[in-house]
Amino acid sequence: MLLHEFNPSIKALTVVVCVLVLSIFFDPVTPFLTLAVTAAATFIFGRVSFRRWILLFSPFIFMALIYIWSALVFSKAIEGETILWTWGIFTLTEESFQRALSLGMRVLSFTSLSLLFMLTTKPAEFLLSLMQQCRLPPKLAYGIMAGYRFLPLIKEEFDIIRNAHRIRGVPKARTLSEKLAELKRYAVPLLAGAIRKAERTAMAMESKGFTGDRNREFYHKISVSWKDWAFFAFFIAVVLASAYVSWLFGFLQLYNGKL
Amino acid sequence: MALQRNHHFLKSEQLTFRHEGENKPVFQNVDFSLYPGEAVLLLGPSGCGKSTLAYCLNKLYPEAVDGKLDGAILYKGKMLEEFRPGEINQHIGIVFQDPESQFCMTTVEDELAFGLENMKTPPEEIGNKIDKALELVHLLPYKHAQIHTLSGGQKQKLALACVLSLKPEVLILDEPTANLDPASSYELTSIIRELKKDQSFSLVIIEHKLDDWIDLTDRCLVLNREGEILFNGSTADCFNKYAGELQAEGIWLPSSVKAGLLAKKAGIYKGKNLPLTEGELIAGLVNPNAALQILDNRKIPPPGLKEQIILSVKNLSFNKDGKELLKNISFSVKKGEFVAIAGSNGSGKTTLSRLLAGLYTPSNGDILYHDRHLSLWKEQDLRQRLGYVFQNPEHQFIADTVYDEIAFSLKIRRMPDADIKKMVQTSLQQVHLLQHADMHPFSLSQGQKRRLSVASMLVNEQELLLLDEPTFGQDANTARELMALMEEKIRRGGSVVMITHDMEILHSCADKVIVLSDGEKIYEGLPDDLWKKHEIMKIASLKVPYIEKLRNDIRRYGREGKVCSYMNLTQA
Amino acid sequence: MLDKWKLREVIVLSVLAVVFAVVYLVFVQFGNVLYGMLGLIGYDLIFGIWFIVSIIAAYIIRKPGAAFLSETIAAAIEVMIGNAVGPRLILSGMIQGIGAEAVFAATKWNNYRTWVLIAAGMGSSVTSFIWGYFISGYAAFSPGYVTAMFFVRLISGALLAGLLGKWLSESLAKTGALSSFPIGKEIKRGKSDNGITA
Repeated sequence: MLLHEFNPSIKALTVVVCVLVLSIFFDPVTPFLTLAVTAAATFIFGRVSFRRWILLFSPFIFMALIYIWSALVFSKAIEGETILWTWGIFTLTEESFQRALSLGMRVLSFTSLSLLFMLTTKPAEFLLSLMQQCRLPPKLAYGIMAGYRFLPLIKEEFDIIRNAHRIRGVPKARTLSEKLAELKRYAVPLLAGAIRKAERTAMAMESKGFTGDRNREFYHKISVSWKDWAFFAFFIAVVLASAYVSWLFGFLQLYNGKL
Repeated sequence: MALQRNHHFLKSEQLTFRHEGENKPVFQNVDFSLYPGEAVLLLGPSGCGKSTLAYCLNKLYPEAVDGKLDGAILYKGKMLEEFRPGEINQHIGIVFQDPESQFCMTTVEDELAFGLENMKTPPEEIGNKIDKALELVHLLPYKHAQIHTLSGGQKQKLALACVLSLKPEVLILDEPTANLDPASSYELTSIIRELKKDQSFSLVIIEHKLDDWIDLTDRCLVLNREGEILFNGSTADCFNKYAGELQAEGIWLPSSVKAGLLAKKAGIYKGKNLPLTEGELIAGLVNPNAALQILDNRKIPPPGLKEQIILSVKNLSFNKDGKELLKNISFSVKKGEFVAIAGSNGSGKTTLSRLLAGLYTPSNGDILYHDRHLSLWKEQDLRQRLGYVFQNPEHQFIADTVYDEIAFSLKIRRMPDADIKKMVQTSLQQVHLLQHADMHPFSLSQGQKRRLSVASMLVNEQELLLLDEPTFGQDANTARELMALMEEKIRRGGSVVMITHDMEILHSCADKVIVLSDGEKIYEGLPDDLWKKHEIMKIASLKVPYIEKLRNDIRRYGREGKVCSYMNLTQA
Repeated sequence: MLDKWKLREVIVLSVLAVVFAVVYLVFVQFGNVLYGMLGLIGYDLIFGIWFIVSIIAAYIIRKPGAAFLSETIAAAIEVMIGNAVGPRLILSGMIQGIGAEAVFAATKWNNYRTWVLIAAGMGSSVTSFIWGYFISGYAAFSPGYVTAMFFVRLISGALLAGLLGKWLSESLAKTGALSSFPIGKEIKRGKSDNGITA
């Protein structure tokens, strides 16, 4: 059983619901446990190599650290908390330290859930599934597919334009207005080319008889079975179980109600 | 041709098309019929509405744009408006020019399924139909391939397969080979020729270079600059009557017609009609051997080419992502020399040119410009002495007006405004763009954009100019003007290194040819000697230029006896 | 909603989203630098850039849904090409899009003047901030800091999305690439009114 085989729409729904549920908790243990289970599932049932996973994951470790740092420095001081350390106006309480840690962990647990989805789902199948299960209009779904196809082309053109600017001897942008001019020099040819290509693609699609008709029979059928819902239930259970374990050890903290 | 000519099935009556808010029609009063199994070549100067007409016949226009179509189009006696949306596309298919913008799915299989699903083909039949269509264009091994990994030629074959899978009765070809190299282009035309024998469809062909299409064509329809029908009749009549006019409009004539026109002017062609094929040309020449000298446009090497080497490449290798893109390449460029780089797609031509321009850093080996390592040059100095013209002119544009585009590099050099003005004007005059000085570079026509991109690289009097297929997809006039600019550059002591697929340019202009294959240099020398190296020609999928082909054929027929060979030729 | 759209408009929308998805990814790197230097508020400084596609798409296509859909698709594409924020980002995109769309809806999709475009950029700032407050746990920060973040983001939305989006769209229209869209026709008309140097 591979994660790739589950229905893409339900996989996406699972990730989003897990994220929403996780947002209720303000303790570091719940997201950490979820992270551990999710990552393990990605490796075992997603056949994703650790190397590839950590490559995508590592920038978020940095992001998590910044979150922790910001949350420590600009933490909300609440009366009656255990003070760990004071220095001038800067006060660190045990509770705020835990909150900061929880925000960092939250970023990482979200990332692990997302990677589980991204590394085991093909974009084309996701869109086919959105059309077949979620009634996404074909006009939009195939429009997105068509746009998505331009991606390698846009990257390639970006490179060419950078080289062309060197050839023309465009000096390095220093001031703000030069930077804006530079942004324009890149964006305008890229967009102009892309828009013309988009219009041509639209015509090519229409020439193949595409009308955007919602009654469409698919060659490539994406189905939903009880297994997909079991997958959904499993991951929600993982999050709730994480919270339960956290509660058992006395860490669990919900948002304290003051907005 | 044994076809029932009485039943046209596609017919237009007094067709006129205008873009919204414009008085001048794109084309007007076009009466046109297409018969079953017929192949019609649609000709006309660029901008005369050929493609627009094709899109109207397919009902893509006017829906896709804000425009107004007057007159009527009937398919098998039924007005096009009476068809349900998308219905007519099953009967009338089209292959477009740009291989990059014809698909909306990521894999070959899904793309074919997309069209079949649109036509409400029962899903269980789709698999079979996909296989059949791919087989027709020899793409079956690529069924599960990602489209973006295919070559341009393969993409166009896929586009053709998509159309064929719907079993159309009319196939419109809107310059399908314009973006392909000669080898892929030849392959695509061969496939279409094969298919036309076995399948019964009519063809409407819009094409740029006609050599591969001419024997397939039953009839020509010529539009003039105003978008009116200038001529509608047999191919032979078309070129006999209008060859001169077509040429003046920048339309590429079939090589035999062009040669015939030249020979006739020189008084050495005695045939009554202009030749459409080589056989007809040879048969009509007064003295074929003598004619070769007149028809040959090989440039005479300037007396005493200077021996000063300005660019030298030694043992150059280049790796990217673990792949060896160029292997151990050495050669040099002299002052006043025209060096052409040829080779099939993916052989490393563009990579080599980028290395020569100092845009990439060599993995191994040296590139010396004026005896100094490229890496030691100050960026600004290098750019003022070495120009590079990209394949797509738009990539190079950085200003909002044509004027500023040329003035840009002069301003960097902090030249006085008055001088800049003078130089820009001279430069724009040279490429006939002075009257467009205030326009946005992007809003120019394709040929104008090309000229502007070259002009912007000539204004600094760069000694070495590198060009990446500058004549690609250009009309005959632009190509000719461009080559004139290069000649002028050489005359003033500059050197030119040009990547090109065009063997006619190679033959007529190059002092030296370098042929690449799989990142290796497999030939360096005179073009004349290259044509004799059959093995190299085959590996690099090059075709001999027309004049060489003619020379070979004349020699062969001289041996075999003229009458007999002419018979063979007309039958072939 | 989509039935009134031509396929051409849908694909142009989608291509805009793709281009800006790439731009957004580049700015994530840039944002991380600011973020490292200034903390969380560093991100808010450039947050507006993430709404720009809403403004550009709405200004070019001028149909209900353009702002919302473009932002949503850009987010979806970002997910596909490797922003590990993942499917949640699609939700963020939708919420940002709703902010801008709401402003255009208030003008009944009839007014695309500068102040409307600026307001739309700010609209995205507001909705995105509310969402961020919940999902990223801003509640853990001191109220003063949160207020500062909000105002910085509001200004960023106005400038980097509203004004920059307008300027880029108009630069693009001048190339003639948008000739079949209302904005292209306006530029053309403007040109013929005041001579070539418009």
